[in-house]
Amino acid sequence: MSESPRRTPPLRWRLRHILPYYRQNLWAFVLGFLLLVATSATAALIPYLMKLATEALTHRGTNDTLQETVLILILVALLNAILRIRSRTHIFAIGRQVEYALRKAYHAKLLSLDAAFFNRSKTGDLVARGNTDVLAVRMFIGPGFLQVANTAMVYAVTLPVMIALNPTLTFLALLPFPIILGLTRLLTTRLYRLSRAVADRFGLFSGFVQEAVAGMAVIRAHAREEDWQRRFADEVQEIYSAQMRHTRLQSLFGPLVLLAGGAGIWIILLVGGQEVMTGHLTVGDFVAFSGYLAILVWPTVGFGWILTVLQRGLAALERISQVLDTEPFALLPGEQGHALPKVTLARGEIRVRGLHFAHNEPILHGIDLQLPAGSFVGLAGRIGCGKTTLLHCLARLYAVPEGTVWLDGQDLLSVPEEALRQTVALAQQESFLFSTTIRENMTLGSPNASEAEIWEAARMACFDEEICRFPDQLDTLVGERGITLSGGQRQRLSLARALLMDPAVLLLDDIFSSVDARTEARILDNIHALADSRRRTIILVCHRTAALHRAEAIYLLEKGRIAAQGTHAELMRNAPLYQSLHQQMIRHEALESLQ
Amino acid sequence: MMPPVLAETEETRDGNLFNMHPYRLLWRFFRYARPYRGWVATALTLLPVAALLQLWQPLLIQQAVDHHLLPGRAEGFGAILLLFLLLILGQFAVGYLQSAVNTLLGQRLVRDMRRELFAHLLRMDAAFFAHNASGRLTNRISNDTEAVSQMISAGMINLLGDLLLLLGIAVSMVLLSPRLSLVTLVALPIIVLGTLYITRRMRTIQRKGRLLQARMAGHLTEEVEGRETIRLFHSQAKNRATYDGMNRAYLETALQANFFEAFQFSFIDATSTVVIALLFWYGGFLYGDAGISIGVVVAFIDYIRRLFFPIREISGKFTTMQSAITALERIFALLDTAPGIVDHEPVQVLRPPVKGAIAFRQLHFRYGSEPVLQGIELHIAPGERIAVVGPTGAGKSSLIKLLNRTYEPQQGMIAIDGVDIRRLPLAQLRRLVGMVQQETFLFAGSVAENIHLGDPEITPERVRQAAEETGAMAFIASLPQGLATPLAERGVNLSAGQRQLLGITRVLAFQPRILVMDEATSSVDTLSERLIQEAVERLMAGRTSLIIAHRLSTILHADRIIVLSGGRIAEQGSHTSLLAHDGLYARLYALQFAEGREQAVDGVG
Ligand SMILES: Nc1ncnc2c1ncn2[C@@H]1O[C@H](COP(=O)(O)OP(=O)(O)OP(=O)(O)O)[C@@H](O)[C@H]1O
Ligand SMILES: Nc1ncnc2c1ncn2[C@@H]1O[C@H](COP(=O)(O)OP(=O)(O)OP(=O)(O)O)[C@@H](O)[C@H]1O
Ligand SMILES: [Mg+2]
Ligand SMILES: [Mg+2]
Repeated sequence: MSESPRRTPPLRWRLRHILPYYRQNLWAFVLGFLLLVATSATAALIPYLMKLATEALTHRGTNDTLQETVLILILVALLNAILRIRSRTHIFAIGRQVEYALRKAYHAKLLSLDAAFFNRSKTGDLVARGNTDVLAVRMFIGPGFLQVANTAMVYAVTLPVMIALNPTLTFLALLPFPIILGLTRLLTTRLYRLSRAVADRFGLFSGFVQEAVAGMAVIRAHAREEDWQRRFADEVQEIYSAQMRHTRLQSLFGPLVLLAGGAGIWIILLVGGQEVMTGHLTVGDFVAFSGYLAILVWPTVGFGWILTVLQRGLAALERISQVLDTEPFALLPGEQGHALPKVTLARGEIRVRGLHFAHNEPILHGIDLQLPAGSFVGLAGRIGCGKTTLLHCLARLYAVPEGTVWLDGQDLLSVPEEALRQTVALAQQESFLFSTTIRENMTLGSPNASEAEIWEAARMACFDEEICRFPDQLDTLVGERGITLSGGQRQRLSLARALLMDPAVLLLDDIFSSVDARTEARILDNIHALADSRRRTIILVCHRTAALHRAEAIYLLEKGRIAAQGTHAELMRNAPLYQSLHQQMIRHEALESLQ
Repeated sequence: MMPPVLAETEETRDGNLFNMHPYRLLWRFFRYARPYRGWVATALTLLPVAALLQLWQPLLIQQAVDHHLLPGRAEGFGAILLLFLLLILGQFAVGYLQSAVNTLLGQRLVRDMRRELFAHLLRMDAAFFAHNASGRLTNRISNDTEAVSQMISAGMINLLGDLLLLLGIAVSMVLLSPRLSLVTLVALPIIVLGTLYITRRMRTIQRKGRLLQARMAGHLTEEVEGRETIRLFHSQAKNRATYDGMNRAYLETALQANFFEAFQFSFIDATSTVVIALLFWYGGFLYGDAGISIGVVVAFIDYIRRLFFPIREISGKFTTMQSAITALERIFALLDTAPGIVDHEPVQVLRPPVKGAIAFRQLHFRYGSEPVLQGIELHIAPGERIAVVGPTGAGKSSLIKLLNRTYEPQQGMIAIDGVDIRRLPLAQLRRLVGMVQQETFLFAGSVAENIHLGDPEITPERVRQAAEETGAMAFIASLPQGLATPLAERGVNLSAGQRQLLGITRVLAFQPRILVMDEATSSVDTLSERLIQEAVERLMAGRTSLIIAHRLSTILHADRIIVLSGGRIAEQGSHTSLLAHDGLYARLYALQFAEGREQAVDGVG
């Protein structure tokens, strides 16, 4: 995702994600612009007043005129300050509002995207986009607009006055400016790429650090610290180099614009000096002129600076746009609202017809399943045969093609998200816990669950007794990813979370892998009881095929195909793979070897 | 002990944890500049040069006005013009150098600081990571250091330059006309008080802003990692609301900050004009007095403009400095957190051959207030195969985490070949004890990289061999690029069983003297498990092993079985003796065997 563009695309396209905000805030911008006009107008008065004052001083006019001018000067300065504060706060506020909206949009987008997208992204990088890059875009909108508008304004107001004073001198004094601006344009195109490179590097760097911190336990357990230190050093060096390449050009800006200002003064001195000596120009004019030039220099410096900020902002915007442009495969709940009829799913009948699924390589090949509501089936197979993938398809975490999976007779793709989530719950093979309390983790999908329901779900998952032993019970904090729980505790918490949803379809992915035999037996009893009630369709994936005895049907997956199906007894008779997967075989052999 | 952290980081509230004086902080920070003395010297030398180039310009103008323009004398004017030209060209060159050198310095210091921070993190222990949100640590290395670099490249040196300039201007003004300079004094209290007020307000606002920013980043990180869970449990709306709350609060602080920024920017500007106005007024009185010529007034105006520009800059840079100093505080606080687990002096290196006898002596351990392990006494002979079983939450994982000093017991000790493991160099200990953790962590990198982890000792052949032994090669070979196939973050493009298999392969490739496996085959099928067991038997022949397993099939091969329950060793002995004992183990075993019987009835028989 980090390759830099060959050619810089048209600006309009690059701005596509913030143009709407510009439109929304059109009047705010207009008001801001008017405020700027007023600010510039008052600012332009100041050198003129100074000229008057200087002249009053030279001509030894009455002290009255001088005092009057001084008073006006002070008043104008104050007015100017007030206007400037107003205009700056007003315009920056627009940038902040857009920052807020953009951040919100980015966050919402991330929540809506699916596995395919995340598989090719790095967490740290995505976070950097939502943080540093959004900041850079804000600089683009608020200060960027201000500076551009301001520069335009200052020129618009100041230039006529200067021309009125002395056209030739104005022309000559401003001569260096366009040259400098031309140079600037040249620089910015290059700078755009360089700053994009810096932003990308920084994203990669954050990703690297993020991952290293997450995998620290492995690094330390294998005493690989030195190697990581070296890789980190390289990574840091990369950022440094990218940064320095950027700096080498970027450092030209400020001095260049200062040079333009200096050259202007020099020209005034050269030409204007002659004229003052010959009496064509007063010293007051001379003072005013250099004053105006001073007014022009800083906005132009700012303009140079802002060009960089704009480039950085554009680069950041592009990184954000990459994410915003990604589309999830299923419609979002909001968008579905009016597109789809309200449906009530409750029975939990699942039908799969010729389901093929591929990540990059094909993984599932023509899966057919027919699960009547209330059935209890097992899924078995060797590692990597596609069990989890199948469950993810059924839970619509992966994009299944249209017309392959039906839930209660409705195409899975057209089921509204909310209805789907209330109908189908999946306890994942590797549970993810958030760093909050046990309670928050458990009620993630059912925020309105009562205390009794929570405890009941915990009991079903055989987690209640342990919760009771924690000092804070349900309010115990579990740390990032549930780090402060034992492996089995994490697994049961995530099972309890799925059970609490009270779903019509319960998908259980290898939920016994980290629990001991006794706990397993107790949980299994609870699941059998659930199955017997026939109010739920249950699919149980398990490596310990012994746990599947009671299933009505067991599907045996092999390399993404259903290799065999039947009850436990049938499979033990007909399916050699199933036999060899069965634990009992090993156990018998082992027992024999013991004797 | 600290509570486990929330994603939102308490500590970003900064300041209260450590009360180092800012100057001491800065002083300490300057040490990082030591290797770059040459560059610092360059940057510092450029400062007076730049100031001189600037200050000279108004003087030249004054001369031009008084000696040439007003009297209309043309000779000598050319020299002034030439000098002026040289000055602005010099200013350009010096300006470029300054900007480049300052950024270079900032970036270099930050580069070193980042390396030090990372090296420090590598030394920290598991308890530290359990109690410090990873987002926060990442933030230290990436964003806080960036703030510090800003301080160098945009703040500190320029601040010095500004101060120097200010001083130069002040001196020139006093030299030019002491009386007119008095007028400028009027502005002093206004500016000082105003700046103080604004800086103080800005500090509170900025802190709040940074806290919110850190929280949002933490939130986002966790959401990205837990995206499937969020999806499955349909909690997007709730997550959006939480995030929106922070986002909105951030907007509010930002709007407040805006006002003060604008105020800061404008009030100094206005003050400068007022001072110029007063100058005219006062000049009106003094005009004609000795030394007050029109040229002097003109030069004064120019000086005042130049005077107020650095003042405005200084107050702006104050803000940059402030956030950099709080960032520094946090960075140093992290660097000052001593790693809890270090080599104990005198370090004692175990000489090969290491036999692999392990002794746990009267171990007591707890994470927080609840005891997890109590009075563990266990002696393992070299080459012995030990299995540890017990209910979930019994403390099995905790026990082995003590063995490679992931955690340290509060009481008791562990010895390998009679040597207290605290005396062993950590690196040796961890190479000695190969540990397959309950959760396999894979890095984004190739499959091979995840096996050898960058260790040059582990040759490609060894990687391949280990993968073949454990049976991992079967699936690796079917990946598009075999061992070179890139894995996604945390290896999410593999199945759980495949990940676990890789984890085992990794440890076997390291060929440790002591093998520890924590539920290492929990997610693999029976066939794979058998392959793994055989590989372990072969590779670990004669080496000590400690295997935690819930599936009794895994442990039948063990020489001795330890039953852990409630943090104590409840039973131990061989399979047969434990069955005879008819305790917890017998019950656990019966459960699994009972299924076997049931299955024997309707199955193969
Ligand atoms: N980092 C930690 N901080 C605080 N408490 C912890 C931490 N890790 C584990 N615990 C607690 O210590 C107890 C023992 O945990 P441990 O992981 O050793 O159990 P275990 O026997 O390995 O269980 P399992 O079979 O489920 O993996 C548990 O109650 C757990 O909640
Ligand atoms: N995100 C992904 N991108 C690419 N390939 C993937 C991805 N996830 C899984 N695979 C591949 O798809 C295949 C099936 O994986 P899946 O997780 O469904 O297996 P599984 O049957 O659940 O195995 P296990 O018993 O180990 O959990 C594996 O070969 C795996 O490498
Ligand atoms: Mg799986
Ligand atoms: Mg454990």
